[in-house]
Amino acid sequence: MSWDFVSNLILASVRMAVPLLFIALAELYSERAGMVNIGLEGLAAIGSLVGFLVCFITGSAWLGILSGALVGIAVNMIYAFATITLCANQIVYGMALNIFAPALASFIYRVYFGTGSELSQITLMSGIGIPGLKNIPFLGELLFNQTPMVYFAYLLVIVTVLYFNKTRSGLNYKAVGEHPKAAATLGIPVIRIKYIACILCGALSGIGGAYLTTCYANTYTEGNVAGRGFIALAAVIFGRWTGGGILLACLFFGFCDALQIRLQVANFGLPYQFFQMIPYVATVLVLSLIGAKKAGPRAGGQPYRREER
Amino acid sequence: MRKFKQSLASFAVPLLSILLAFLIGAIIIALRGASPLTALQYLWKGAFGTKATLGTTLAKSTPLIFTALCACFAYRCGVFNLGGEGQFIMGSIVACVIGLNSGLTGLPGILLCLIAGALAGGVWGLIPGILKVTRGQNEMIISIMLNYVATLLMGVVYTSWLRDANVPQTPSIPVGLKLSRIVHGMRFTSAFAIAVAVGLILYYFLFRTSSGFKLRAVGYNMTASRFNGFPVNRYILASFIVSGAVAGLGGSAELLGSQFRLINGFGAGYGFDGVAMALIGQLHPIASMVVAIFFAALRTGSTTMQAATGVPTSVSDIIQALVIVFTVAGMALVKLPEFETFRMKLSGGDRKEVKSA
Repeated sequence: MSWDFVSNLILASVRMAVPLLFIALAELYSERAGMVNIGLEGLAAIGSLVGFLVCFITGSAWLGILSGALVGIAVNMIYAFATITLCANQIVYGMALNIFAPALASFIYRVYFGTGSELSQITLMSGIGIPGLKNIPFLGELLFNQTPMVYFAYLLVIVTVLYFNKTRSGLNYKAVGEHPKAAATLGIPVIRIKYIACILCGALSGIGGAYLTTCYANTYTEGNVAGRGFIALAAVIFGRWTGGGILLACLFFGFCDALQIRLQVANFGLPYQFFQMIPYVATVLVLSLIGAKKAGPRAGGQPYRREER
Repeated sequence: MRKFKQSLASFAVPLLSILLAFLIGAIIIALRGASPLTALQYLWKGAFGTKATLGTTLAKSTPLIFTALCACFAYRCGVFNLGGEGQFIMGSIVACVIGLNSGLTGLPGILLCLIAGALAGGVWGLIPGILKVTRGQNEMIISIMLNYVATLLMGVVYTSWLRDANVPQTPSIPVGLKLSRIVHGMRFTSAFAIAVAVGLILYYFLFRTSSGFKLRAVGYNMTASRFNGFPVNRYILASFIVSGAVAGLGGSAELLGSQFRLINGFGAGYGFDGVAMALIGQLHPIASMVVAIFFAALRTGSTTMQAATGVPTSVSDIIQALVIVFTVAGMALVKLPEFETFRMKLSGGDRKEVKSA
C-alpha cells in the first residue's frame, strides 16, 4: 500500500462525498422544519437529468447546476403542497416522489435523445485551483484544487452550522421542527418556514443530482443516483442532524465509495459486485451500530394544522 | 355513515386520479403530435384487445401482484417495507440455484423452488425487521440498502457463478421446472393463480381472523396496542417475514413461470411499483391486485401504442407515476376538516352538523 494509493483514495473520497453532502444537507434543512422527505432519490434523479440536458444544450455546467436546482424546487413543491397544505403523510408522499421523478426523468431523456443507445457526453466543470495554496503538497490538492462545487459544499456546511446555532432565524427554524405549535404562538410563521425548507431541500437535492452529471461523470445513465438519496438519509441520522456530523458521515460514505472502486480495479479474484456492495453494506452496519438514540427533530414527520387547538 | 363515506372516498379518489392522470397523458401525447384518442385506443387494444394480449397482461401483472401484496401486508402492520425488490430477487436467486442444481423436476422440483424462494425472501425481509425491533433502526433505509445488495448478488450469480458461457446470464432452468400455462394460447401461467390465491389468503387473514385484526391494530396505533398487551414486536417481525416471503415467492414464481433465467434487469423496479400499487389500492389486498393488473395493462398496451403511433412507452410510466401522486394527495385532501366544511356548504348543510359528526 503506497502513499500514492492512500492519497488518491482520500482525494477520491472527497469527490464522492460532495454529491452526498448536498443531498444530506437538503434533508437536514427539510427535517429541521419537521419535514421528513424520503423523496431525495427522485429529486436527485430529475436534477441529474435536467442538469445534464441543460449542460448538453448550452455547454455550460453552471447553467446545468442552476437548472438542476430549479427543477428540484419545482418537483419538491408538489411534495410541499401535498404534505404541508393537504397534510398528506410525508413518508408516503416521499415515496410518490421517488416513483414520479425518475419516471419523468426517463421520459424527458427518451423524448430528447430517442431510443438510440449512443451515449451523449458533456464537458465537465473544470477545477479552479487557489493560487499559492494549491501548491502545498497533498493538502493543496485535497483542499484547494477542486471544482467550485466542492468549495461551495464545504462553505454550505459552515453556513449551515452557523445558521442553526448562532442566528435567531436559525433557532426559529429549528423550533418549527421541534414544536410547531409553540413556535406559532411565538409568532414564528410555521407554514412559511416549512415551505422555505422544501425549497431549500429541492434546490440542494437537485444540485446534488446535477453534480453527478456535470462534475463527476460526463454522461447520464438511468439509475445514476444509485441509492445516494437513501444513503444521504442515513448520513443525516449518522451525523445526528448537525452540519459537522453530516460532513463527517458523508466523508465516511464517500470513502466507502472510493475504496470500492479501487478494490474493483485491484482485482482480488472476487466478482466485482462484492466490492460494489460496500457502500450499501456499510450503511446498514453503521445504522445498526449507532442504534436509535432519538436525536432528530421531535415533530419530524408530523403534519401541522393551524386550526388545531 | 362515516364509514360509508370513507369507503366511497377510497374508491372515488383512485378512480378520479386515474382519470386525471390519463388526461395529462393525453395532453402529453397531443403535444407529441399524435392523436390521443387513437393512442388510447391502441393502448386498450394492446392490453385487452385479443385473447393473447389479455394473457400477456395477466402474465405481466403476476410479479407486480406479489410485490404489491408484499408492500400492502407490511404497511398494514405499520412498517414500511421498501425492500420488496430485494426480497423478490433473493427468492429468484435461490430458486434459480436450486432449479439448476437439484436435478428434481416436475411438481416436487417446482414446489422445492417456490418454497425455498419464499424462505429466502422471508429471511431477507427479516433483516430490516430485526434491526428495527432490536436497534430501533429505520427499516426503510435498511430495506432499500438490501435491495442494492440483492441486485448486486444476483449480478455475481449471472456473471460469475452460474454464467451461461459467454453471455452474462444464467442458463435456462430445465423444462421440467417451468410452470405451465392455464389457458391455451394465453401467456399467463399457474404463477398468476398462485398470486391471486396469496392475495385472497392475505385478505382473509387481515380482515377475517383475530390475529389479522391485531396486526392491523398494531399498524393503526402501535402505542395503544403495546398498552393493550399485544406482542407488538412479534407482530412486526412476523409482518416482515410474511411480506418478504410473499415477494420471495413472487421472485421464484417469475423465474419458473416467465423469465426462466437470471439476467440483467430481472425484477428491477418491481419493489417500488409494488409500494405504489398498494398505496393506490388503499392497502387492501384485493384492490391492490386489481391495481397491479391495471399497471400491467398500461405496460403491455403501451408497446402496441408505441408501434402504432410512435408515442414512447414511457408515457405509461408517467401516467402510472401521476396516479400515485394524485391518489395520495387526494386521500389527504378528503380527510382535511376544511374539505368536509366545503362539502357540507355545497350540499346546503350548516356548519353545526359538521362539528357534531
